[in-house]
Amino acid sequence: MAYVATRGGERAIEQAERLYRAQMGEVTPARVAEIERALPSLIDRVMGEASLYAPDLAALALAQSGGDLYEALLLLRAWRSTQPRLQIAAPVTQDRMLTHRRISAAFKDIPGGQILGPTLDYSHRLLATEVVQGETFTPVPVEKAANPAPACHPSLAAWQQAQGLVAAPSLAPVDRDSIPDLTKEPLLFPAKRAHTLQSLARADTGGVLALGYSAMRGYGNAHPTVNELRLSEAEVIVRHPNGTEFSAGRVKTSQAEVVTTKGQGTLRLGFCATLGWNEVKTIAGATLDLNAPGAPKGSPVNEEFFLYHTEPVESSGFCIHFKLPHYVTFQSSLDALRDAKAQRNKTEEPA
Amino acid sequence: MSEIAVTDASERLSVLARMVPERISEEAEMLLPELGEIEVIQSRSGLVMLPMRDTVTGTDFHLGEVLVSEAHIRLPGGIEGYGMVTGHDLERAMAMAVIDAALSAGVAVARLTRVIAEEAARQAEQDRETLRAIEATRVDMETF
Repeated sequence: MAYVATRGGERAIEQAERLYRAQMGEVTPARVAEIERALPSLIDRVMGEASLYAPDLAALALAQSGGDLYEALLLLRAWRSTQPRLQIAAPVTQDRMLTHRRISAAFKDIPGGQILGPTLDYSHRLLATEVVQGETFTPVPVEKAANPAPACHPSLAAWQQAQGLVAAPSLAPVDRDSIPDLTKEPLLFPAKRAHTLQSLARADTGGVLALGYSAMRGYGNAHPTVNELRLSEAEVIVRHPNGTEFSAGRVKTSQAEVVTTKGQGTLRLGFCATLGWNEVKTIAGATLDLNAPGAPKGSPVNEEFFLYHTEPVESSGFCIHFKLPHYVTFQSSLDALRDAKAQRNKTEEPA
Repeated sequence: MSEIAVTDASERLSVLARMVPERISEEAEMLLPELGEIEVIQSRSGLVMLPMRDTVTGTDFHLGEVLVSEAHIRLPGGIEGYGMVTGHDLERAMAMAVIDAALSAGVAVARLTRVIAEEAARQAEQDRETLRAIEATRVDMETF
């Protein structure tokens, strides 16, 4: 592409920014704290797509951008690049996470049982319009069980592997410092599985949903059923300089496996996980993972297609760059169009 | 106040990292006069990459980065202390490093052991309450 530098309009640019920021008014610590407290789902979505777990900074980015998700992601990804990488934590494994929600749509009686956790899945959704009339909507408190749920639950996939229903993982764990990392190396195709899963973890929720939905509607090769969906808290296990490993705190994570019976004598699974609690993204992402093997180039379930097109900063950035001055390139196209028209008129003139 | 004895070094550090900010700062403040001049090797925020293991193929992959605060200090005798907590809270990380150094130096061990045991009990109770709420959502699906 050809671009040309433009000059002028410095005052207009400054006033335009002022006009934009005037929409939000003052960004105060109290506003940021309220966003973090009141909008956990949005904070989780932003943290997952920013690939940065920092709820207060996600709230700040949302406050500063007036809720423009792509602008918030840009701020967070840019800020992240100013911070040093201190460590790589121990890998999170499913059987060691504090599980808040764990369900299966494929198997009714899963080892450890089904736990709905925080969800509106079976609730009637009504807009609480009384709030705009001046009333307060107060949620009814949970009636806690007498005994606590187990903190950790076994992996359903591990049980299925033991039953011979799905192929057992054949990979030996790698050293944590050797795990491929998209923030330090390019995404190349065919992609390493670690790159695919990292890319899906930081992908745009809406983009993953759109492409995953296309697969669910029939533009893929396998219809998904949720094998297991989990919302959890994972310990961030870091190293003390003397070598002792300990938890520096917990982060919310979500993960989904989807299953199809279209296998060679076994079930086939797709997987997706992300930072924060974001069910729709992980189910749609796992559907893409399930459908990717053997997908033709150009198909929405082709790995290159869905990974490139769901990177939120690149895709939104490319989209909105089209509003920036393209005068030279467009003028050039216009000249070519006029030339072609003149040429056509010339050849159509009677001899 | 109830207590849970914490004898394991890993568990002790984990309890400190999750300690209520005001409480850990208060404990660290009390230790300072007993520790002498502290050399700060590191006090900064940064990122910890968090990998996860895929349940389908067993592949370890990076889920994303977590903002953390880190403190690394040295006491006059050369004994070091270290703290790392999630989020941007340099004061809490420093307080953790001070307590870690004090325990390694044998300073106020009895009191700190009791404080950590109390905190471990508080954290366990907090988890128990969370898990009681979660258990209330256990469902036994019926099919017809």
